[in-house]
Order: sequence, then structure tokens, then C-alpha cells
Amino acid sequence: MGAASDVQNRPGAKMASSSKGKVERRRLWMMMLIRRFEERTYQEYTKRGFEDPSGEVVKRIGGFCHLYSGQEAVAVGIAAVFEPKRDYLVNGYRDHGHALALGMSPNAAMAELFGRVTGCSRGKGGSMHFFQAEVGNMGGHGIVGGQIPLGVGMAFAAWYRKTGGVSFTLFGDGALNQGTFNESMNLASLWKLPCLFICENNGLAMGTQVHRSSAETDLAKRGAGYAMPCRNVDGNDLNEVIAAVQEAAGRARAGEGPSFLVMNTYRFRGHSMSDPQKYRTREDLERARQRDPILLYERYLREQGLLEDGAVDQMDNEISQIVNEAVKFSEQSPHPDLRELYEHVLSEVYPLEK
Amino acid sequence: MPVIQFKEALRAAMIEEMERDENVFLLGEEVGEYNGAYKVSEGMLARFGPRRVLDTPISEAAFTGLGIGAAMCGLRPIVELMSWSFSLVCFDQLANNAANIRYMSGGQFKIPIVFRGGNGIAHQLGATHSHRVDALFSRVPGLTVVAPSCPYDAKGLLKSAIRSDDPVIFLESEVMLNDRGEVPDEPYTLPIGRAYVRREGSDVTFICWSKMVKLCMAAAEKLQSEEGISAEVIDLRTLRPLDEDTLVSSIRKTNRCVVVDEDWPYCGMGAGIVERLYRRVFDDLDAPIGRVCCEDVPVPYNHYLERAMQPSVPKVIAAAREVCYV
Repeated sequence: MGAASDVQNRPGAKMASSSKGKVERRRLWMMMLIRRFEERTYQEYTKRGFEDPSGEVVKRIGGFCHLYSGQEAVAVGIAAVFEPKRDYLVNGYRDHGHALALGMSPNAAMAELFGRVTGCSRGKGGSMHFFQAEVGNMGGHGIVGGQIPLGVGMAFAAWYRKTGGVSFTLFGDGALNQGTFNESMNLASLWKLPCLFICENNGLAMGTQVHRSSAETDLAKRGAGYAMPCRNVDGNDLNEVIAAVQEAAGRARAGEGPSFLVMNTYRFRGHSMSDPQKYRTREDLERARQRDPILLYERYLREQGLLEDGAVDQMDNEISQIVNEAVKFSEQSPHPDLRELYEHVLSEVYPLEK
Repeated sequence: MPVIQFKEALRAAMIEEMERDENVFLLGEEVGEYNGAYKVSEGMLARFGPRRVLDTPISEAAFTGLGIGAAMCGLRPIVELMSWSFSLVCFDQLANNAANIRYMSGGQFKIPIVFRGGNGIAHQLGATHSHRVDALFSRVPGLTVVAPSCPYDAKGLLKSAIRSDDPVIFLESEVMLNDRGEVPDEPYTLPIGRAYVRREGSDVTFICWSKMVKLCMAAAEKLQSEEGISAEVIDLRTLRPLDEDTLVSSIRKTNRCVVVDEDWPYCGMGAGIVERLYRRVFDDLDAPIGRVCCEDVPVPYNHYLERAMQPSVPKVIAAAREVCYV
């Protein structure tokens, strides 16, 4: 599998050494990795492309690309609770951060953006379709709300097999206005499936603010009709995210059914790469940056005495190298062979006799 | 050999496969306590219990998507759609999720799932409940589309569909569910992706599937007895992948062909098949390929209008005469 897994990178993974604060520092490290990865992605996306032998300029990163900067605490908080052997995570298209947090190597992630065969989906999925089956990352999905029923199906599989696994079903605030949200919340609650419905509310459905798209602007209330616990969570506070997810996952594992968590957060970049962001002012963004989840968690670690002076700089250097290496790896990786065009369409060979 | 109904053949296939494989389960609207809207799943809840036969709310997107998600985890759902007309409200789940996830994950997932239910025009259900989805799904890479015409085929093909690791669109017909036919007691499967020559002939090839097969067989008998025209009737059984070789070798023998289907004329299933064939048999044809299909209008409620809208034995005979220049 091209998607070389780096499971020990997971923020929740048990560390060999148990020195005080190591798990917490790893969580900070992961949020910083995601931020650096996304900001580098922004740069790579806007650079001039590769000139191939025919003279055609091919973009380094193509297509739609949605960056996660500002929302890192949600992915890292979920990963802290996620159990890769039995849990599933399914997501919308803003999916780079979750993939990294669940242990995807930055090389496989960046190579997918570059469309290379070494990418996590062999260059056939792109930014919106990161998959890593071996850790239970069931993919980023491109159609708003289209993945929510899939998440219910993963919860069903865990229920059917009695694994104690949980399906982390993620979507944005825009997806609340799709029919699949209503259908899925109702069905999962009716059947008491171990499904965590997690809405990452960054306040913007593309360019439409919540108050212009949702009649009820307290989004946790949107879950009121489905007989399940619903709550708002400060999605910028990693500790709050972990606590809320832990509690809801515990209920699900105990057979008590689904929960609905609204992670209130903010994205620092545009909806996608082509977004002029006329829906907000520089002041809005500056205000939001005061509550940058990485700064908040860094401050918390310092207050707890878990972060030595210079530790952040050291992490930053290490992460820089990792991301540089991911870009270099992607540049040097081959494109999929043209034979790949017809591969992975079907599992079976026809005529099929079984 | 025992003679059973089409719906009994479908039920027998599901029961045998559920007994064979714990991962197979059935879900859909009214499949359990109601015993199936059309009684296909009658008795299955009592037999397998509520863990494996599940009544869903009227939420097609949720329960088809649930099936796909469960299939990604290795279960093998059979999802009953009360009518394929209702698949229009969950088209995204089928055409985007079921069909694409394997490809766009670089082959990391199999999607072993069957979606089955009644397709096409039943009787006086009006335009919303009479859709033919054959072409809608047969044009999508990643999907397999099967459409049996008789109880024997229904059982053998449904068993193969359940065993397939790919998403299968299984098209039944409400008006065929009480049809009777011979089905052996011993287990068997039929190959997906192979057409079946239901009647041999030498003058013209009829290409048909599902309930159009009966129509073509009746037309072929009539042509033989009244006009001495010998029609070969090919039952496609599978719409995607299309068994082009069987069709091409028949046309190379008869040099004339009529495609009979229940879909609309423009961009319909028949149109797609004709396009595939022309490239290979152009030089073998003594006449342009004929087509019999539905009229290019929504499906009307009125009994006579509805009948006039659809293919019929006289329409098939007229098309055969036209390509035979008689």
C-alpha cells in the first residue's frame, strides 16, 4: 500500500517513554504538523507548475483544495480518542488534517495532492478523497453531506459485529442543511448505533455565514429532534474537544447510541484556493487568530509546566524538515502509469461465476 | 422440477445466501414486519430475526448509504428499494459513493452490496412511480447491472450478485413477481456478464431483457407461424458489463437486429447498446438496427395511454418486418 502508515505519530498512541507530558506535547506537535502541512500546501498550490516535455504546464497541486488551518484541535482531539483497530472515521472534503492525525505519513498525503502514485489514494482521489483503510480512515468525501449515511453504515457494521467500535462521522455546518443529515441522525438514533455525529462549525458554508443558511443559529439545537445528546463544544480548545469526544464515544461503546457534537471553530484560510473571502474582514480574522487552537494549547502546556523553553522551536524545525521532505518525495514520485486508468474500477473480473 | 414464482425465487436466493454467509443481511422499507411491500421477503424476519432483516424509515439516502458504509467494512448488505423510481432521491449514494469509492481510494475498498427492487412501468402508477433506471445506472463505471427475466434466472443471478464483491444494481419488475417457472431445488448460480440465447433463429436477432423477453418470445412465435420469419431471442441478463460477443455473433448469423426495451428512445438503454454494436457489426448488417422502446413522453396514468406508450408484440413484429424488408 502506497499510504505508508505512521501509526506511532498518532497523538493518542502510547509512547515508549512515559515522561511527563509526552502525550500532550505530541498532540501539540501534531497540530503544528497539520498547520505547517496546510500552509505549505497553499504555497505549493500557488507555485508555477511543472513543464512537461510537450511544453504543457501541469499544476503541482490541482483541483479543489480545502485547507484545515485553524480547526486542528478537532482532528487531533478525535484522534486522541480514536481506536484504529475497531473505530472508523468518515469525513467531508476538508480532510487533510484528520488523515495526518490518524497517522497518515505526510509523504503519502502530499504525494496525493501532487497526484502521484505514491499518494494515499494512488493519485486517483486528490485533496478531497484521502483514504487509509488500514487505520479506519474511510475517506474524505466530496459531496456535502454525502458521507453521513456512510458513517451510519460503519456504525452499523460495528454494532452488527459487536466490536465496541465507534463511527466518527464528520461534516461541516453546511451539511446540516442537506437531507442526509436528517435521515442519518434519525436512523442512527432509532437503531441506537455507535455513531458520533461531529459537526465542525467553522461558521461558513463556503461563503455563506451560519445566520444566512440556518434558521437556528445555535447548531447543537439542530439535533434536538433525534432523541440523542447534543452539545456545543469549544472546538479550539483541544482539552474540551477530547473530553467531549471521550464522553460521547464512551456512551456509544456502551451501547447507549449516538451523540451530536458541534465543534465551534474557525478556518483561517478561504473555503478553497479560489476564495476572495469577501464575507469577512481582516479584523474578523485577527480576532479569530487570538483563539488559534495551537496557541491556546501551547499556553496550556506552559501553564502546566509541560513545555520547556525552546521545545516549540525544536518541534517547528523537525516539522519543517518533515514537510520539506514530503514535498521533495512528491516531486520525485512518478505519476500513475496510464494502465492505472482502468484499474480499481471493479473488484471482480467478468463474466463472473461464483 | 418444482415450479415457483419469481418472488419465491428471489426469496430463496436471499435465504440460501444468508444461511451460507453471516455477513449477508437484508434491509429496506417494509421488508420485515410487513413481510415485504410485494411479499418478496415474506417470512424472512421470522427466520432470521431483527438483526439481519431490518425495517428502515422512508429514508432512501440514509439506508442505501448505510449499506455502502457497512459494505466498506466487509458486510454484504442486500438493500431492497420498494421501487427503483425511489432511487432518484438517493442517486448520489449509488452513483457517487457505491460506484466511485473503490476507484478513488486507489483500490483500498471493496463494495460488496446488492440494491434490488422493482424497475420500470408496472400498472397505472403514473409518471413518478414508473421510471426505468436501466440506462441511468448502466452508464456508470463501477456498477454492475443485472436484469433477470424469469424465476430460474432471478435466483441464479441474485445469488451471484450477493457473492460479487462489487455493487450490483438488480432490476426486477413488479409485474413479473407472480410469474412462474421451473427452478431446481439444488443450489446453483448463473454467471453475471453473460447473455443467454433464449430462442435460436436465423433471420433476425431480438435483443431484450427483463420483462421485454416474454414480449419478444411471443413476437418470435407469431413471426414464425404467420410469416415464416425465424427470430433469435437474446436475453441480456446483465446490462453492464454488456456481453457484446454473444450479440455480435448472433447478428453475424442473422444480419438483422431489433433492440427492444422499455426505456425512452433518446439516450436510453437501447440507444447505448446500438452504439456499442454498430462499431462491430456495421458491415454485417443488411438493414439498420431497429428499435422498439417507450414513447418519448412521461408515463401516463390512463390504462390505454399507458399501454400505447409501451412496447408491444405488434410493435416488435412491425420492427422485425421493417428490418427484414417484408
